[in-house]
Amino acid sequence: MDIGVLRRDGRTDPFFDGTAAGRLVVRRCEACDRWFAPDASGCPGCGEEELGWAEASGAATLVTWTILPKEPPAFLALVELAEGPWLHARLDGVERADLREGLALRAAFEHPDEGESYVLFRPWTERGSVR
Amino acid sequence: MGTSIVGLGMTELGRVYGRSPRRLAADAVRLAAADAGLALGDLDGLLVSHGMGGSPGIELADTLGLRDLRLLALVNSYGATAGAMVSYAAMSVLNGSATTVACVFADAPLKPEQSAGSAYNRSSREWYGFGGMTAALGLRSVNSHYALAAQRHMARYGTTSEQLGAIAVATRAWASGNPLAQMREPITIEDHQASRWVSEPLHLLDCCLVSNGAIAVIVTSAGRARDLARPPVHLWGWGQGHPGHRKERGSDFGLATGAAASGAAAMKMAGITTADVDVCELYDCYTYTVLVTLEDYGFCAKGEGGAFAASGALGPGGSLPTNTGGGQLSAYYMWGMTPLSEAVIQARGDGGQRQAPSTDVILVSGNGGILDHHSTLVVSPHEKGA
Ligand SMILES: [Zn+2]
Repeated sequence: MDIGVLRRDGRTDPFFDGTAAGRLVVRRCEACDRWFAPDASGCPGCGEEELGWAEASGAATLVTWTILPKEPPAFLALVELAEGPWLHARLDGVERADLREGLALRAAFEHPDEGESYVLFRPWTERGSVR
Repeated sequence: MGTSIVGLGMTELGRVYGRSPRRLAADAVRLAAADAGLALGDLDGLLVSHGMGGSPGIELADTLGLRDLRLLALVNSYGATAGAMVSYAAMSVLNGSATTVACVFADAPLKPEQSAGSAYNRSSREWYGFGGMTAALGLRSVNSHYALAAQRHMARYGTTSEQLGAIAVATRAWASGNPLAQMREPITIEDHQASRWVSEPLHLLDCCLVSNGAIAVIVTSAGRARDLARPPVHLWGWGQGHPGHRKERGSDFGLATGAAASGAAAMKMAGITTADVDVCELYDCYTYTVLVTLEDYGFCAKGEGGAFAASGALGPGGSLPTNTGGGQLSAYYMWGMTPLSEAVIQARGDGGQRQAPSTDVILVSGNGGILDHHSTLVVSPHEKGA
């Protein structure tokens, strides 16, 4: 999919270093043993503003979704990482009939010719990716 | 002692060009004062709220030539601001720190030769950071965020698009009786279903309008209100709810909102229950927002908002007249001032063709952010306890 060109903004180096290497790196507060989305601005538990970064498993479940009327349709979602935080995400390899609360997903990484690598979420079973 | 809304000022609303938000705000305050039979110099308080299209701030006092104010503030809890401002004005009057307070909202996001949607949208070729990635992947508009909320409600409770459509149809039916409404042509469920997807499950007819303009109200004591030009609209209760949804496991985002806490607080203060409410004027940025607000206020059980809407309760002739002026879906989008202005019109009996049969107790809601902020007012033509 052509999404334009992604650039770093000075606060996202660990995240985009992660996507380049096929790893989902998100925010984490070690003190509180709590995970956050990569854009989290701090930990409400202890007030820490400089959250650490940590590699998430990439396993997720579908919370809710919306479909943009494009050709082909764009499946956008809130997904819940196995570690707890929710991410706004784009689904890949899904059809309308697949969509349900709790659908098992797994992070997948795209490496465009220009700009940063990014993450999509695809349906996933124990035997591996459905599609 | 109680407090009352005694003035309502509304500029032209909709595709109104050539006036800045500050000018629109000033015009609305002048209109509200004139409506109340007050001089601008009678105001000793001013609360200001603005939308997306530029900011009238507290410099509005200078624009209006107001002097010796005892209360002046810019207030922002997004779409919940109108109700919040009125409650702050009422509390200031009650505790004696001001006597006569104007509350105004102005916005001018529409520009000539620009589509309504683009006023609240962004697009780009290069994207920066994590937020840029999310936007690049397609999540760019408030519409999509509310679509995520609505879809979660649908998946969990079986709410249908046709049930959301019933809200759009009822609201439009009310709008057809409002000369100020931007959209007055009646619609059917079929029209709703046939309208284009904006962000599935939201059709175009699930989404509010975009409008330029300004609306102001004036709050004073119930005692003073008796001597003014128009019938007072008495403030019986208010509340707010800011649930602080965190986007993480266990969140009830989309399923429940701050309306639950806000509505309960406002109704408790007013000494009423949902059974006493004659009319609802609810913040309807989307049809779904009305549905979830009705549930959270307790007009029906959680998850039954769809069936309640589809029962015909909300439209003309229904048991709970709701958004009697056409709301933000069909009349005009002035954030929380849309439901509040219609509540004042109804309480005064000025609804004309759309006047609700009974208006003894009117419930008014505001909703801001992505269901992050909520305010409630209970208003009545009668003094509380009278
Ligand atoms: Zn912490």
